[in-house]
Amino acid sequence: MIPLPRIDPPLINASGILSYPEVFTAFESAGACLGGYVTKSVGPREKPGNENPVVVYPPEGAVLNSLALPTQSAEDWERDLEEIKLKNAKLIVSVYGGDAGEFAGVTRRMSRFGDAIEVNLGCPNKEPGEQTIMESIGQNPALSAEVIERVRDETDKPVIAKLSPNSDYLAVAESCMNAGADALGCGNTLGPGLAVDIRSRAAILAGTTGGISGPALKPINLRMTYEAYARFRCPIVAYGGIETWEDAVEYILAGAGVLGIGTAFMRKSTHEAAALTRDIWEGIQEYLDGEPMSALIGAAHRAAEGGDSHA
Amino acid sequence: MRSVFRVVENHRESDWTHTIFFDREIESTPGQFMMVWLPRLGEKPFTLSYLNAVTVKKAGAFTEKLAALEPGDEIGLRGPLGQGYPPLKRPALIGGGVGIAELRLLALASEEPSFVLGGRTADEILFYEEFRELGPVHVATEDGALGHKGLVTELLPVEADSYAVCGPERMMAACLPKLPAERTYFAVERYMKCAVGLCGQCTCSGWRVCTDGPIFPASTVAQMDDFGKRRRSKSGRWEAV
Repeated sequence: MIPLPRIDPPLINASGILSYPEVFTAFESAGACLGGYVTKSVGPREKPGNENPVVVYPPEGAVLNSLALPTQSAEDWERDLEEIKLKNAKLIVSVYGGDAGEFAGVTRRMSRFGDAIEVNLGCPNKEPGEQTIMESIGQNPALSAEVIERVRDETDKPVIAKLSPNSDYLAVAESCMNAGADALGCGNTLGPGLAVDIRSRAAILAGTTGGISGPALKPINLRMTYEAYARFRCPIVAYGGIETWEDAVEYILAGAGVLGIGTAFMRKSTHEAAALTRDIWEGIQEYLDGEPMSALIGAAHRAAEGGDSHA
Repeated sequence: MRSVFRVVENHRESDWTHTIFFDREIESTPGQFMMVWLPRLGEKPFTLSYLNAVTVKKAGAFTEKLAALEPGDEIGLRGPLGQGYPPLKRPALIGGGVGIAELRLLALASEEPSFVLGGRTADEILFYEEFRELGPVHVATEDGALGHKGLVTELLPVEADSYAVCGPERMMAACLPKLPAERTYFAVERYMKCAVGLCGQCTCSGWRVCTDGPIFPASTVAQMDDFGKRRRSKSGRWEAV
């Protein structure tokens, strides 16, 4: 297994959030405590994604998005990433495709830019007439393994298999690890879900349904993190509803070594978002109280093994 | 949050431009924007021209439909979003085309405003009579139908304590070197998707226009290499401004 690069501090943005190299450098310049940045998922050919509205935020702590993987072409991404000037942070390139061959083709072009490659197996959004990656690949252990195998052949960088919470994710994770994945991403947005406007009697999102993120996602991806760590003891990048240092610590105790922030950046200026990342990192450090973070990764399992017969 | 508003009046400003009034006022800072939603058609950013209205120029399927709304029709509004203008003292409000609409609420919130307005022809100089009651109005039209024949930038510099500029990006870029960086604000426009700082689509040199802007001090705009030059399209591909 290829170890993940040292991501210090162990906080990153979630793929599809912030998205572009120039936004990453703006965050870095503003003093964001993000040790790595993840690109928007790079696809094999240019596509605009769904029409607006692409987000809806009902008041229950859930945000739905139906962006559906807009991407410039892989060639244009190459030009963009040639220009990126991150000072200290690592770059993780997220990739997707319609089948294993397309994943491999994108990885071939992107490998030299990334300190790691994140494989998007779980996007629950689609443009009309498409199938979601979650349905076509991410819910199927054999097809997911084929993707990871082909990606593995194209890169010597660590490969993160990012799973859908709406899948038999331990089975998918097992085949991905056997196929050469170095780490698990736990996980993508949930669902998809639906929001209906009762006045116009129409689905609000132009894509009809949208992946669910924010606080509503946290207990679900936290459980995925916990179960994946228990089974594989592998490096885990966790995402889902991390808004405070306490949220981050929960994920660390469950087994995550890197924490992804997404929806918590909603409505925050670059300076406010950078301050949020500093607050989260400072809170984690105070909680650690001098202990190395590695000592706490998965600590909830040790507690469970010590005194809980359900572990 | 997204709320539903009922249209109460459609006021035709010119052949191309309509002001759509709705049934309630929205508390906001001048320069903040609303995402206007037409069910099954789309959602796009607009700045309020009145506390209860947006002024829209017909330029495509969405704006044609918006400009054709009738009393009783319903629209969805999400906002107010983004950073507006700070309070301005004795500002010169510099507007081009439908960008003039955004300056109306700013003018009403400012003491002793003056106006520098440009358009292709007289029809495009929105709120001309109303602005003349608030302060001096300098106009440039490309066809010479009203005021100076030529571009709005040819009227600069003008004397004022502060400046606000809203118009086509190339016009704004031409204004940038003619105005004092520390007392000038620009309204930057980019293609928006989420409009709440998540997706990054509206980046201008890394600033997310929806949450860091859309109103930026000129000192920031001067650092934006992309301003006046390039922007990301719906897919993220670069295109010329």
